Amino acid sequence: MSAETVEKAIEKKPAEALFSKRRKKLVTDPLVDDNPITIQVLGICSALAVTTQMKPTLVMAISVIFVVVMSNLVISLMRNTIPSRVRIIVQLAVVATLVTLVSEVLRAFAYDMYKELSVFVGLIITNCIVMGRLEAFALGNKPYDSVLDGFGSALGYAWIILAVAFFRELWGSGSVFGIPVFDYVSGIFGSDFQLATNGLMVSPVGAFIILGLIIWIQRTKTGYVEH
Amino acid sequence: MDLFSLGIRSIFIDNMVFAYFLGMCSFLAVSKKVSTALGLGAAVIFVLTVTVPVNWLLNEFVLKEGALTWVSGELASIDLTFLRFIMFIAIIAAMVQLVEMVVEKFAPALYGALGIFLPLIAVNCAILGGSLFMAQRDYTLAESAVYGFGSGTGFFLAIVALAAIREKLKYSHVPNGLKGLGITMLLTGLMGIAFMSFMGIDL
Amino acid sequence: MQQSNGYIIVFSVILTVVLGLLLSGTSQVLGPMQREAEALDKKKQILGAVISAEEIDAMAPEEVNEYYNSRISSIVVDINGKEVTEQDGASVTAETVDIGKNYKRPAEERLYPVFIFHEEGNPEAVESYVFPLYGAGLWDAIWGYMALETDMNTVGGITLAHAGETPGLGARITEGEVQNRYVGKKIYNDSGELVAIEMQKGEGKDYSSDPHKVDGMSGATITANGVNAMVENYLGHYQAYIDSKKSNQAVAAAN
Repeated sequence: MSAETVEKAIEKKPAEALFSKRRKKLVTDPLVDDNPITIQVLGICSALAVTTQMKPTLVMAISVIFVVVMSNLVISLMRNTIPSRVRIIVQLAVVATLVTLVSEVLRAFAYDMYKELSVFVGLIITNCIVMGRLEAFALGNKPYDSVLDGFGSALGYAWIILAVAFFRELWGSGSVFGIPVFDYVSGIFGSDFQLATNGLMVSPVGAFIILGLIIWIQRTKTGYVEH
Repeated sequence: MDLFSLGIRSIFIDNMVFAYFLGMCSFLAVSKKVSTALGLGAAVIFVLTVTVPVNWLLNEFVLKEGALTWVSGELASIDLTFLRFIMFIAIIAAMVQLVEMVVEKFAPALYGALGIFLPLIAVNCAILGGSLFMAQRDYTLAESAVYGFGSGTGFFLAIVALAAIREKLKYSHVPNGLKGLGITMLLTGLMGIAFMSFMGIDL
Repeated sequence: MQQSNGYIIVFSVILTVVLGLLLSGTSQVLGPMQREAEALDKKKQILGAVISAEEIDAMAPEEVNEYYNSRISSIVVDINGKEVTEQDGASVTAETVDIGKNYKRPAEERLYPVFIFHEEGNPEAVESYVFPLYGAGLWDAIWGYMALETDMNTVGGITLAHAGETPGLGARITEGEVQNRYVGKKIYNDSGELVAIEMQKGEGKDYSSDPHKVDGMSGATITANGVNAMVENYLGHYQAYIDSKKSNQAVAAAN
């Protein structure tokens, strides 16, 4: 998305190698080792509700990537002018503006998605990942680094919610991206072989349980233990 | 009767946490001890009960299409709904600040209990979610007050119940990878199943 | 870093103006497209009652508009079946009537749009009448459009939508397979009383012999009850209009 264009614009003046080790870490760390959802416990709020199906989840993930990257960029550019006493409300205002842009664009060009996501697009504003990255990183770092950091965190968030959505849609509705997988399977083995869908998966409960299991697997792999 | 059933619905059936996943961040972070959970829960009830009706007024008299007719008939065609997100969040942040100052001035004891939670609440999705649902569902002023209070109470119940379970959980052997967030998610799922039993109650 | 109040105020004002301009600019640019997208969505729903969802999906947006304009004409009536052309001084068109907002008013004061599906370019040759429906499901609002054939009794098709029914259970009302169960059912009994159509509890039974019952959705009885109430209520609200069309036909048939 626009993240790439921004990165290209800044490409011209590299004092440090464009993809130095440190910068690569900014992007790759949040993917697994320091994942915003499974390790930092951020941003669970608005996203889980849309993960009953892959398609809205993908739209949600792209929207969040856009908002996190852009707000990190804007706040980082302004970081020396923002009065510290009102910085929270300034951050909220910038984020709310970006989210409104996303929602207006969806409403104009993807009205079906706009209806489906309803209030959850607006709730990106209070997605803790956005505010968390602004407070923890963008306020004290250069724009390019902030963009990379935001991109990494948002990607870490995106793959987790897509994974949750994949299992919920597969087991709950028997399809992936709206393509009926279960029907196809029973087509191969004959009509006696029917895979049953599980209604619990499409209810919020399914999301909690799947996410709990993903966290379990991931933390066992990385050896992270919470005390 | 309608208001009553709306209240019950928003507490149990449309529970902020179990049905809409709202306020999860603070729900998970502040549910380690019952006493802090009580504090946060009370603060959420308080702020939701105040901000949903205030945002209703804002939506009704400023933002909605044709809302400005009370200023002058010529403004009837103005539609400011695109400012909804930014205005709602600004009102919430301002109200939280205001509440904080008022509580600090007039009820220092309450401030001691709630004080640290109030800033957290400005970015709690449950608060913004309450206002957005109110706008989307076209509630009246009375309905939005009841809805704000009800969904706050729902959040309160959920977080206090979870905190109570987590306190007991300390004495259990949980697999390492599942400690903390993992087991809490599974617990929330099981609690969600319990709350599902309210589903379909016709009020 | 502790800035002066003056700086904070100037900063806030500049930020507000910049963000405000940005947002209002976007909304000005995108506004017409959004209205078009909304209108298109509504047209698709209305057409959903008379042609299949696959056919609609296959159409490009311009084709939907073109098809709609050449095949659908519309009027707005009140509870007594009288045509309404203006309300509170503003002119009324069926496409802009917000069914959800009208639902909040008492039934007598609501506006009732009727969409008439006719042969291409010939509004006289009516094929079916499409009536909007609106009501409450289990969680939230449900709505839809029902098409009646020209005998004002046989259901030509129905399209249903919902704001938040349980996925996989109540949300199945949006599936073509469920909606097709309504096709060919009758809303009046033999003695001419309105009995509407009832979705039954449980699923898998054959109701093809009963013109007023359709098979239910297992696990979604309350949503089904909501649909039943909605269908019955709205057909009741349109009864005066339906009767007037019926008597017209009776006259035409007598001639």
